[in-house]
Amino acid sequence: MAPDEVIEAIKSRFGDAVKASEVKGVEARMDIHWEKNYEILMALKEMGLDYLNCLSAVDRIASAELEVVYNLSSLSLPAKALVRTRVPREEPIIRSVASLWGTADWHEREAFDMMGIRFDGHPDLRRILLSEDWVGYPLRKDYQDERLVPYEPV
Amino acid sequence: MNTHETEIAERTRETMEEMYVNMGPQHPSTHGVLRLMLKLDGEVVTEIIPYVGYLHRCHEKIGENRILTQIIPYTDRLDYLASMYNNWGFVLTVERHLGITVPERAEYMRVILGELQRIASHLIWLGTFGLDLGNFTIFLYCFREREMILDLFESVCGQRLNYAFYRIGGMPLDLPDSFVSNCKAFLEWFKPRLPEYDALMSDNIIFQKRVQGLGILDPKTAINYAISGPVLRGSGIKWDLRRNDPYSIYDRFEFDIPVGTSGDVWDRYMVRRIEMEESVKIVEQALQGLPSGDIIAKMPKKLKPPVGDIYTRVETPRGELGFYMVFDGSEKPYRYKVRSPTFVNLSVLPVIGTGYLVADLVAILGSIDIVLGEVDR
Repeated sequence: MAPDEVIEAIKSRFGDAVKASEVKGVEARMDIHWEKNYEILMALKEMGLDYLNCLSAVDRIASAELEVVYNLSSLSLPAKALVRTRVPREEPIIRSVASLWGTADWHEREAFDMMGIRFDGHPDLRRILLSEDWVGYPLRKDYQDERLVPYEPV
Repeated sequence: MNTHETEIAERTRETMEEMYVNMGPQHPSTHGVLRLMLKLDGEVVTEIIPYVGYLHRCHEKIGENRILTQIIPYTDRLDYLASMYNNWGFVLTVERHLGITVPERAEYMRVILGELQRIASHLIWLGTFGLDLGNFTIFLYCFREREMILDLFESVCGQRLNYAFYRIGGMPLDLPDSFVSNCKAFLEWFKPRLPEYDALMSDNIIFQKRVQGLGILDPKTAINYAISGPVLRGSGIKWDLRRNDPYSIYDRFEFDIPVGTSGDVWDRYMVRRIEMEESVKIVEQALQGLPSGDIIAKMPKKLKPPVGDIYTRVETPRGELGFYMVFDGSEKPYRYKVRSPTFVNLSVLPVIGTGYLVADLVAILGSIDIVLGEVDR
């Protein structure tokens, strides 16, 4: 399945939920509405993109949003997909995909730990890399810690 | 409980309840500071809860506060048993984003060093895996051979563990004149050693009985958990990024991808064992075709990557190492995410490890081949 076919199929099923899309090599890139993330990812999984390489979170502080990025690929098809979705910073809640992919469990816990995104429906959402009593989310751009020394290039 | 059991329980003050036991963080078979909370019924593990993060140093935050060339030494510390390959994964990501073509000779050097690193990493794994199961001899043999690879690396870059040797655009130093002959001599010496390992491990009936049918990971679960590397191949899926999503010049070399059949500890062991032979083949072909010429592309003084994001993956000795990087037009990455193979592979341990004895769990954990520097980042 070619990447433009993937985008076409998703667009015809979900319409406005796909805000922007482009093709980069074999990769289909889509920006989607956060409320439809579970349905769109399930559709992609059914299309054969059943290998969740990576799930990461990006702090888009300029627009007061947090971004969740899903990297999908397949062990049988050459196509890949990169799905981005943004949630508001004040209330970062998004539906968990841990029921679709077992690997999403730890990735989502890491995104919660580092960025403070809450994954609705996650079976066991708690900090994974930091200790349980840690305050704040270190990978957010406005994270403050008096132990952090600002970096000055020489 | 029947009356007889109650009687015994009262007499011996045993409650016959399940209990929780901590395995680690200081435990010789957890290969670092991994803590496993085990729920035990007698000696049978009924539940595993892994606790990771004891080595966490916020690698990603450090990366976001450094310019691109300064990140390379930090990537060494991810998987410290395969530093060359971590360097490679990182520089490849930046090179693809910038659209840099690396000179031929540098690509060959990368393949040679990367595959030697794979052999060294698998040797460490084989040695410590043997040690976990009570075979001390293999550990000494493996470290003897690894020492020779480290000597080769030292002759190239002066370092033995954390090399920071790959550069964006190529390699910083050419191979020394003696390298090709020394490397060939090593390979000639190393090839007859592999049957010796077989005699100690693979042909050992005690070892076979110990690991066969243990920790079975079926292909469906493996894909669901996005398992990669030798663990995935042990489950019978022929998937190697060097072949299936080729980077660098891997499409020029002839090599086989070993796969297992049942997905147990034995299969994962055999995959890594055969992979060493395949790596030897690749190094031999690369030494044969090593061209002369430039080792680094023409690079600007200041690297300013264009706005955008990229995900690139390489096949390290432990699986798929991915870098997801977002650039906002400045010299530093806006977001720098590391998808480490063992972090993902370890997450399947609660699925494949339950229902076995504690002593078997040691073997299953060993067969996943974790490096905590990479799990915790």
